[in-house]
Amino acid sequence: MKRYLFIVSRSPYGSSVVLEQLETAMVAAAFDGDVAILLRDDGVWNLQQHQSGDALERQTLAKVLSGLPSYEIDRLYVCASSLQMRNVAIDQHLGFEAVDYPAQQALIRNSDVVIGGQP
Amino acid sequence: MIYALAVHGAPYSSNAAEHAIGFAEALLACGHQIERVFFFHEGVYHSLNSHVPPQTRYNVNLARRWQSLHSGGIELAVCIASGIKRGVVNETEQERYDLPSDTLSKTFELVGLGQLIGAIATADRYVEFPA
Repeated sequence: MKRYLFIVSRSPYGSSVVLEQLETAMVAAAFDGDVAILLRDDGVWNLQQHQSGDALERQTLAKVLSGLPSYEIDRLYVCASSLQMRNVAIDQHLGFEAVDYPAQQALIRNSDVVIGGQP
Repeated sequence: MIYALAVHGAPYSSNAAEHAIGFAEALLACGHQIERVFFFHEGVYHSLNSHVPPQTRYNVNLARRWQSLHSGGIELAVCIASGIKRGVVNETEQERYDLPSDTLSKTFELVGLGQLIGAIATADRYVEFPA
């Protein structure tokens, strides 16, 4: 079984990239992968409280994130520094753990495959 | 070593393909194997059957270079979800959605995301070429 780390660094509604990354993560989990997700840079906006994709006729990304544990994706991390820099009020119910840079280094080091790290 | 590659950038607007093709050719020259090249996001535009390369003094013909890799036995797989919403359809999808013609080049095939994960799971290395 491979250990996957998906790094999400895009904001939620500026493109379809985040949704497609999350779909890929779900497929990896469905194929017995051990999947972790790290939100960083503008990717931390995906955790913003009270967001709704309805106004844009798009799926609400926070809802997609809240469904990850049902795909057995429960290693969920967010970059503490990116959060602090943007002052994002995150939805605590989504269960993402804030981690510092050394913890992120360890996450990358302990993964077999790192996907989608580009800004 | 076995490699899986993914191309995310569109032809003639991103350098993703030039880098991916160059990397793939170098891998083969060094005796490595390529499990699959997966086209995702705007990378799916590489698989359209209607490209006209820009007429410049360099005449880079990406379609011909992909064709050449494909002739060498490399599988070129296009994400079906990313593809059909951008107008990349094979005969089956053309009929399903009642479209005037198919648009997928014969060099490529439409597949599900499972084929990306399958390639990554098999490969020793996975390399992405972003937009």
